[in-house]
Amino acid sequence: MTTYETTHAVVPAATDVTAELNELAGNGLNPWTPSQTSGSRAPRHREAASLDARNVSAWFGSRKVLDQVSLHMQAKTVTALIGPSGCGKSTFLRILNRMHESVPSAKLAGEVLLNGEDIYDVGQRITETRRRIGMVFQKPNPFPAMSIADNVTAGLKLTGTKVGRSEKADLIERCLTRGGLWNEVKDRLNTPGAALSGGQQQRLCIARSLAVEPEILLMDEPCSALDPTSTHRIEQTIHELANDVTIVIVTHNMQQAARVSSQCAFFLAAQGTPGMIVESGDTDQIFNRPQDQRTSDYVNGRFG
Amino acid sequence: MTILLTPEEEEDDPTVLADDDDDFDFFDGGQLPVAEKEEDSPRNIRQQLPMVDRIFRSTVKVIGTFVLILTGAIGLFLGYQAFPTFEHYGWGFLTGDKWDPSKDVLGIAGAIVGTVEVAAVALLIGVPLALLAALFTSEYCPRRIKPVMVAIIDLMAAVPSVIYGVWALFVLQTPEIDLARWINQNFGFIPFFKTDADPNAAATSVWGRSYYGSVFIAGAIVGIMIVPTACAVMRGVFDLAPIGEREAAYALGSTRWGMIRSVVLPFGRGGIVGGTMLALGRALGETVAVLLVITVVSDVKFRILSEGTLTISSRIANSFGESSGIQLKALLAAGFILFCMTLVVNTFAAVIVSRSRSGAGTDA
Repeated sequence: MTTYETTHAVVPAATDVTAELNELAGNGLNPWTPSQTSGSRAPRHREAASLDARNVSAWFGSRKVLDQVSLHMQAKTVTALIGPSGCGKSTFLRILNRMHESVPSAKLAGEVLLNGEDIYDVGQRITETRRRIGMVFQKPNPFPAMSIADNVTAGLKLTGTKVGRSEKADLIERCLTRGGLWNEVKDRLNTPGAALSGGQQQRLCIARSLAVEPEILLMDEPCSALDPTSTHRIEQTIHELANDVTIVIVTHNMQQAARVSSQCAFFLAAQGTPGMIVESGDTDQIFNRPQDQRTSDYVNGRFG
Repeated sequence: MTILLTPEEEEDDPTVLADDDDDFDFFDGGQLPVAEKEEDSPRNIRQQLPMVDRIFRSTVKVIGTFVLILTGAIGLFLGYQAFPTFEHYGWGFLTGDKWDPSKDVLGIAGAIVGTVEVAAVALLIGVPLALLAALFTSEYCPRRIKPVMVAIIDLMAAVPSVIYGVWALFVLQTPEIDLARWINQNFGFIPFFKTDADPNAAATSVWGRSYYGSVFIAGAIVGIMIVPTACAVMRGVFDLAPIGEREAAYALGSTRWGMIRSVVLPFGRGGIVGGTMLALGRALGETVAVLLVITVVSDVKFRILSEGTLTISSRIANSFGESSGIQLKALLAAGFILFCMTLVVNTFAAVIVSRSRSGAGTDA
């Protein structure tokens, strides 16, 4: 059996005190709210939040694609969603920040708790939910008409957040640094974002997501369109981000899942049935000591 | 070796093959220095088309060329017919604003200015309407209503212009005159909005008539008429705004309007400009509806609310029946001026649309 090296040493999330506090908040035991944690304006120290999906089902029209999936995503942890194509992992990810409902005919059931609050509650503002739960897409999608700097600050404009000039420059530098792109673009911040290479564009998209200070960052196969060097660079970025943001990443690449994540969930949809989670837990366990035969078959490349 | 052999003989005689070999010595790389390898040249890889394909292609080519020739011929005809007019009246034809065939004084300056004014008013009214209608159909209206909206807006283009003219005359004119009077009363200090009328007289009085048949009245109905043209182009490009960028905006926490401002409108800018220019081309040429509502006055006028105006096309339609000889030629010369104006506008539109990102995929 293949032995994968996992990243527990790199991301010591479980021992972090604030992460534990957020854990408690996620369970409804601690009345922490984001507004209390984000007091100062620049730089805001927003605490990473935990995300808890409970009995989430999804439909496109009358076709059910997810069947009562429950998954807990710990604060300041990288959770990888793996599984073969069409098993509903991307759909699940899009449910986590309310992008699912932008598809006509898409429906869902269950609840998604962000620090204990259901993001699908009728009292929740969808725009605020999406701002708190950022997303990086499979295909890099910078705004092509905007410069690199404007791309980074686009989220502020879109959410109506006003920032001062110097504060804005700081923010651009901070986000591009965190996205691992600063050194490559610091001399040409006013050139169009579309002129960058694919890997750079993807890191620009990560930087753009970070500018609105999300507590959670969802990544939908962020490296599938990139070459190995760019992929490596983005994986580094993910490692660094995991220190203060909760990350959920969908990937087809099992080595990548083993490299970047400390938690892992294996999705599977049998022929003609909706997707579900077969097994979830520590990445180390999923890859090296899977409990389920199907998980074992998948991570060892026997199908999928 | 000039002996002709049948295949059978070749097979029978083993020496023939050996001789053949000698003949091909030149091509045998082994016996010549590699440096003297023959220069290559690109080979012909154009495929031989079947007869049906060739017939179809040439038919399509002929028809396509015919359209070009037709348009070119109209332009040439007008230019050729216009020549004697310019010779006869000189620059006065373009700068004068009197139209008096009995004194042999013909000038279309008033009509040129009127054309531009009517088109400008039409764009001011029509483009915002078209833009909002396009945004609504593309972004806001429920998916089930969308085909209905599209069909209705397209239907607007199918209504004959004489119907618009009559409708403007009997329905639109009354509220428009009230509006014109209101603008005149409140913004009369702006030169464009001055009138010869007493703004405080009742609309129904003799003085009230002074708001009839103005540039404003004509521009308003033309503005409504250009909505479907502009709207169709704009909606087409808004629909093409990439889903990836839309989702990027939404994922940052954007509202729908924020997404439209940051993704749809920048993407659709070429379509907005192109649709506007295309609509302008139509506005410049609109004839019947304008002729029905205006009071014909050939003077150069800059007071758009004040009664009376004229456009090039309505000058032609108005005077064609009673003209002959040099006056008829003068009308064709006026038509040539209009042809050139619309040609320039439409060319600009095509260039702008094709250069923009959104326009590359459309053929507006």
